[in-house]
Parts: sequence; structure tokens; C-alpha cells
Amino acid sequence: MSENGYKSGSNLEKILRAGYFAVTAEIGPPQNADPEVIRRKARLLKGVVDATNITDNQTAIVRMSSIASAVLAMQEGVEPIVQMTCRDRNRLAMQSDLLGAYALGARNLLCLTGDHQSFGNHPTAKNVHDLDSIQFIRMVRDMRDEGRFQCGDEIKGVRPAFFIGAAENPFGDPFDFRPYRLMKKIAAGVDFIQTQIILDVPRFREFMKRVVDMGLHEKVFILAGIGPLKSAGAARYMRDKVPGMRVRDEYVERMEAAVAGIPKEDKKARKEAWEQEGIRIAIEQIQELREIPGVAGVHIMAIEWEEAVRPIVEGAGLLPRPQV
Amino acid sequence: MIIGEQKPLDEIMSLLGNARRVLVAGCGTCVTVCFAGGEKEAAILASALRMRSKLEGHPMEVDEITVQRQCEWEYIDPLADRLRDYDVVLSLACGIGVQAMNERFPETITLPGLNTTFLGLPEEHGVWEERCQACGDCILGITFGICPIARCSKQLLNGPCGGSQNGVCEVNKDIPCAWQLIWERAIQFNQEERLLEVQPPKNWARSRDGGPRKIVREDLRLGEGE
Amino acid sequence: MAEEFEPKILAFCCHYCAYAAADLAGVMRLKYPPAIRIVEIPCSGRVEVGEILRAFEHGADGVMVAG
Repeated sequence: MSENGYKSGSNLEKILRAGYFAVTAEIGPPQNADPEVIRRKARLLKGVVDATNITDNQTAIVRMSSIASAVLAMQEGVEPIVQMTCRDRNRLAMQSDLLGAYALGARNLLCLTGDHQSFGNHPTAKNVHDLDSIQFIRMVRDMRDEGRFQCGDEIKGVRPAFFIGAAENPFGDPFDFRPYRLMKKIAAGVDFIQTQIILDVPRFREFMKRVVDMGLHEKVFILAGIGPLKSAGAARYMRDKVPGMRVRDEYVERMEAAVAGIPKEDKKARKEAWEQEGIRIAIEQIQELREIPGVAGVHIMAIEWEEAVRPIVEGAGLLPRPQV
Repeated sequence: MIIGEQKPLDEIMSLLGNARRVLVAGCGTCVTVCFAGGEKEAAILASALRMRSKLEGHPMEVDEITVQRQCEWEYIDPLADRLRDYDVVLSLACGIGVQAMNERFPETITLPGLNTTFLGLPEEHGVWEERCQACGDCILGITFGICPIARCSKQLLNGPCGGSQNGVCEVNKDIPCAWQLIWERAIQFNQEERLLEVQPPKNWARSRDGGPRKIVREDLRLGEGE
Repeated sequence: MAEEFEPKILAFCCHYCAYAAADLAGVMRLKYPPAIRIVEIPCSGRVEVGEILRAFEHGADGVMVAG
């Protein structure tokens, strides 16, 4: 830990340590080399969230580098959380990128296994998985706290001191193993957790009860995942097709009901009705999740819908964001 | 055992190119048991090649022979004289057999007729699945006899990823989640705590990443002039 | 005009049923084309893919396994 008592000194770390209810969001880099895409998304989030994830080839589709995009976000005054997967890099590439990301000013890191390449646009690629996410967390912690590379060699000079995050899917199976997996991530050195999108609050509550019973919430900050629904179709798709997702029927029904009486031809009105209902559900969810013991914040994944983040955060009464 | 699968006939034809005299060489061990490259398959492929080449207007002379094991010198040495009669050998052995043939008979080109697919077992008649990746550092002792290197799509060592649901892998519902299986075995033996320890990064230097692996057993070597 | 195509067909017939039926057909003076050749086998389960292919290689237009 550094002299000021912080591990990384990132805004997100300060917010969480000060006991504020944290808000993070997500920026998906473009499938091209246009910096304006990141800048535009970052401007939508500035002052609305404490930090924002920058995804790393999400769903195994090639996109602008997460670290490069993070630098663009910083230039717009938004603190990034650099996502990094084990799918695309071995331990050498990971450590070298970590040194680079830190040198460029990144202070938050999210350590992920990564979606399987078969889902993306290069399904014939070779995956790496030299490390798994838990080994990855430990490597980053050792670089920060022990000043050592994964091989054990000393880092002579500036250590990359990241605020270390990881994901957790409370809805994955085997359900009984999930809290233990969280425990392993904590043992490996994780500081904060962002969960998968929660569209099954009772199940999440059950997961959190186990987490709290094990005392894990005192060792890690848990940010509950919010995924605003954009349409009834999207809700159904998430319920039926996305691996590792659980969506309660009530959300699908509410989205379906939102467009009742609006003719199919009036696409604009339907879209607006859906978006309003999606934002409304997200706001209600934040209020619900806030009451669950052990939840330290929310992570809003408005994929390709960054415009929704402000009304959600505002509607949940979480603006303005605290300055620490 | 080693599991193989015959290459498509088109690909084999294109590999054979202008060869006129072809010897199809089956192997009597692993690939016989998995119905990919044994005596029967060699005869069928030879027949198919004769007909196909005839139909295409440049008939090949194709014979077949099957040896007990193409991956051991003792079994392939007797082929030496026969090979002179052929332009190429089309081996239906695994990649080891194909290389053994090329190594032992460098004056003849031996081509592969199979894709060597994996080390596995027949789950039932007609269904084979991978079980081992020969990583060189067996961890089955800590994973309750189920290998996450071969059977987890992401080779995870510390438990399932977030994509495991209802016992199956996110990649494909026909793939059982290896970590679900490991977890169930741990529960069966009341040893869940063994999975709670953080497993360190794997030593991949013992896997294929360092060139061909080699074992030398001095106690077994015959030495010279003895 | 091309000659009318008369396919050469090889029939693998089981000793216990199909071959016996062919025998009976003979007794009943039923006729079948001369281009059909019959090979008597102890059981149709005995026929291998390789043998069917061999028949084609040797000029058969069709192969019948009856049993």
C-alpha cells in the first residue's frame, strides 16, 4: 500500500473506501480506428459515473485496444477501468501491457477469463488461456504489492499499482461453488467485483446472503450489474440465448406490456416506450439492489446505449457524483 | 488411445497430385480401433481412389497394406522393399506413424490420409471424446480424475468460468462443463475444500511449447557395442 | 441411337432366404435379366463395404444386398 493508504489512488478506489455507493459504466470500443467513438461515449459518461470499463475485444470480436481506448477516455476526463482477458494474451504480453497501461495513467484493471473465441468474428483463432482469471489477479497483486513479476523477478523501479477488479456471475453453475470462487478471487488479491447483469434479484439476494455469511463482503467491494433492457426482444434474447444469464419472466412481460396499444408500424413510438420502460426497470433495480447487504455499488452495462446511463443514475438519485 | 478421422477424398486426391502408383498403408493399432485407418478402411480408401482416379481419366494403381503399428521401427522395417514400387505412400496412421514412415524411408514421400484428432476414448460405439492433451504435468490428482486442460474450453485451473450453466459449457450444449463434473466429484468425496486452494499458473514448459518433448531412460538404453 | 442401357447388377444373396427365393423363382420358371449376377453368401451380415466397392470397380452398375 502506498503512503497515502491507497493501493492505486484511483477515483473508484477512493469513492469505495470513503463508503460512497459507487457507479461504474461501460464503453465498448469501436470495430475501427476512429477515436471519436470513444470520445463521444466518454462525454456521455463524464460526471455521471466514478469510472468506466473499457472492454477488451468483447464477445471475442476485434475492437480498438482497451488500453488505447482508456487513454482516449482519460483525455475526456473519464476514469477508465481497463478490461483484460486471458483469452488473447500470455503472461508476458499481459505484464508488458500492464506496465504500459499504468505508464499511460490507467489505475483500475478488470481481470477476466474472456468469452470463448467461438462466439466472435475469429472463431478459428487459437486461444491462449496461459493463466486463468484467478492466477491473473494474483499476478497483478504481486506486481503491485510484492514488486515482482510472475516469474519472481523483482520489478526495479515503478510498480504498476492497479485497483484490481474481477467479474463474478452469481447465476453461473454450479451455484454452490460461486461464493467459493469469489473467495478464491479474494484470496488471489481482488479489490472489487462487478457482477454479471442481474435480472433475477431473488437469486442474487440468495448469492449475496451466502457471501455475507462468509464475511466476503468485508474483504471486497461488490458492484451489482445492471443491464437496462432496450426492447422486449432483447429481454427474451437474454433470457433464452445468452449463456450464464438468468432473466425473470416479469421483466420480459413488463417490456412486452410497455408497447401494448402502440401499432407495430409506429417503430419510433415503440422504441421510445421500450427505452423508457427499460430505464424505469433499471432505476427500480438499483433501488432494490442498494438495500441488499454487501452491495457497494452498481455497474451499468448499457451496451451501445450509453445515453441511458445518465437518466438511470439521475433517476436513482445518485447524482451528482461525490468528489473525493 | 489416439483418435483419428479420415481426410475428405477431395483433399486426399489433391495431396496425391500426379502420383500414379500409390500404396495405402493402414495401421493396426489405435486407428483400427477407432475405425479410421485400419485394414478395412485402407481397403475401402484404396478402392475409392482407384474408382475416382479412373473416373477422372488418369487411373492410379493403388494397393494397400496394413502393419501392426506404424510408430515403431520393427513393424515398418519389413516394408522397405515394397516401397520401391510406389510413387507415394498414403498413410492412414496417426501423425506419429506418418512421420515414422518419412523418417525411416526418406527416399519415399509418405502423405497423411487422416487428421489425427485427439487422445480420447469411445464414450459409446461410434462416439469418441477427448480426455488428455498430454500436457506433461498431470493434474488429475487434484481435479478428482477429470482433466480441465482437455475438457474445459478455457483450460481453467481454479474453477468454472461464468459461462457454465445447467452443467454445460457456454461454447456448446454438447460439452459437459468439466468444472461442474469436478465439483460434483469433490462433493461425492466430501472434499470440496481441496478446490478452494488457488492453483498457481501452470508450467507450460512441460507441454508442447518447447519443441518436441523427449524422455531418455538410461536404464533402458541398449548403448553401443554391448 | 445409343444402345439401350442394360445395367449390370451384382446381387449378394443370403443362403437362407434371398438365394433360396432365387432358386424358387427358377423352379417357377420366372425370368430375370441375364445381366444380374448372383453371389451366394452365408449371411448378408457377411458383406463388407470393400466387397461392394470391388464390385463397382469391376464394372457393376449396381449392387444389391438381399437377406
